[in-house]
Amino acid sequence: MKKISFHDQIARNKRNSFFLVIIVFIVMIVLGYVISMAFSPDYFFFIMILAIIISLVYVLITYYNSDKIALASVKAKKADSVRHRSLYHAVENMSIASGMPMPKVYVMPGSQINAFATGRDPKHGVVCVTEGALNRLNKQELEAVVGHEMSHIANYDIRFITTIAIVVGAIAIFSQLFLRSLWFGSGRSRGRGQGNIIFFLIAIALAILAPIIVKLVQLAISRKREFMADAGSVKLTRYPPGMVNALKKIKADHEQLKVPDAVAPMFFSDTTKRRMANLFQTHPPIEKRISVLERM
Amino acid sequence: MIWWLIVLIIVIVLILLIVFGYYNRFTVLQNRINNSFAQIDVQLRKRSDLVPNLVQAVKGYMKHEQKIMKEVTEARKALLKVIPSKDVASKMKAGDALQGALKSLFAIAENYPNLKASENFLHLQRELSAIEDKVAYARQFYNDSILGYNNLCKTIPGRWFAAMFSKKAGKYLEIPAASRAVPKISF
Repeated sequence: MKKISFHDQIARNKRNSFFLVIIVFIVMIVLGYVISMAFSPDYFFFIMILAIIISLVYVLITYYNSDKIALASVKAKKADSVRHRSLYHAVENMSIASGMPMPKVYVMPGSQINAFATGRDPKHGVVCVTEGALNRLNKQELEAVVGHEMSHIANYDIRFITTIAIVVGAIAIFSQLFLRSLWFGSGRSRGRGQGNIIFFLIAIALAILAPIIVKLVQLAISRKREFMADAGSVKLTRYPPGMVNALKKIKADHEQLKVPDAVAPMFFSDTTKRRMANLFQTHPPIEKRISVLERM
Repeated sequence: MIWWLIVLIIVIVLILLIVFGYYNRFTVLQNRINNSFAQIDVQLRKRSDLVPNLVQAVKGYMKHEQKIMKEVTEARKALLKVIPSKDVASKMKAGDALQGALKSLFAIAENYPNLKASENFLHLQRELSAIEDKVAYARQFYNDSILGYNNLCKTIPGRWFAAMFSKKAGKYLEIPAASRAVPKISF
């Protein structure tokens, strides 16, 4: 793996995160515009300003608390420095090997072998590992998994994935709000002229399509990132078999992990077992990840 | 006339920005090397800090193994002496010497079942082997930092700027073959 590709990836991630924030604002404005035109053009500015304020507050709060929200949603607890000694060593090793500040270390319940990272930049990094991973992975495998998560942090994947999750969430909320409001609004706006109907149709189409499109883009992007993080982990451990063995153990693992959908793309591997590689998968197939690693 | 002046000023500003950019890049990478070097020191110091505890824990059990005890203590003293110095090679050598001495101590400890049953001893053994990993990773990161710096020094146009700022490529640490081998799992 050439070093330059990582730098490219980091720059791209930072840039894409920025564009996404812009996109969420544009979507908010368009949605707000269409909705206000559909309901009551008189209150256009009022609705717009409200939409902008709400989306700003929403984005800022979720962005700065994303790590806490994610950790709380999977019931993660801070790792104990005595009981989870081997995990601490693995994280310390990877932090030394990558030159990154030591992330906070969390453990979450669940017998599936899995892990995720959160935190908006390397200074606020958090690595969280399942109890299943601690019990069933050996030292090299655990280091590989931790290295993978640390690479996500170093590559600013976390910031990117978090921003996308926020965008997806925001658009979903607004679409839901709009679709639900139709039940109440339809009585009043009836007989208000034909112009509204077109806006209504546009708004309904947008509200239904936008979340699906954004979701597909999110999944496609997050699948690509997994290969980068696998490569980054091997760059840290210099030991591809560690990663390969960890993935093989996960493949043989039939446990499922119950986590909210919103945080699923952040995990090391799929939280549920699906048979087919399809559009809605958050991760590339494990066989493919293994075969890429074995070529390194 | 005025247009020429504006173009000239823009070109000069651009050139200055590029020169500054490269200068800062060199500085950042050099700082990274220094920092990663300090990281190795941190781990070496931790290793030497644990040795007195280990000697204390072992003393009661291994009364007849004065030679190895002395060897470990001496190696620790030698390491402590070179840690503050800037001499990379001798520091690495002293670190490896202590590691070697500890390894033979642990090998001898295999013959003392009582010692092997001691929780304190096992804890120290685990910690010291964890530090061994960390030293290896710190060295690896040092070499990675050197690689980043050297790539900049040796590619074009970085090469020209390196000559301009009289920056020289750094030297890699030699990583002993033994520490690259995957240790057998023992827990």
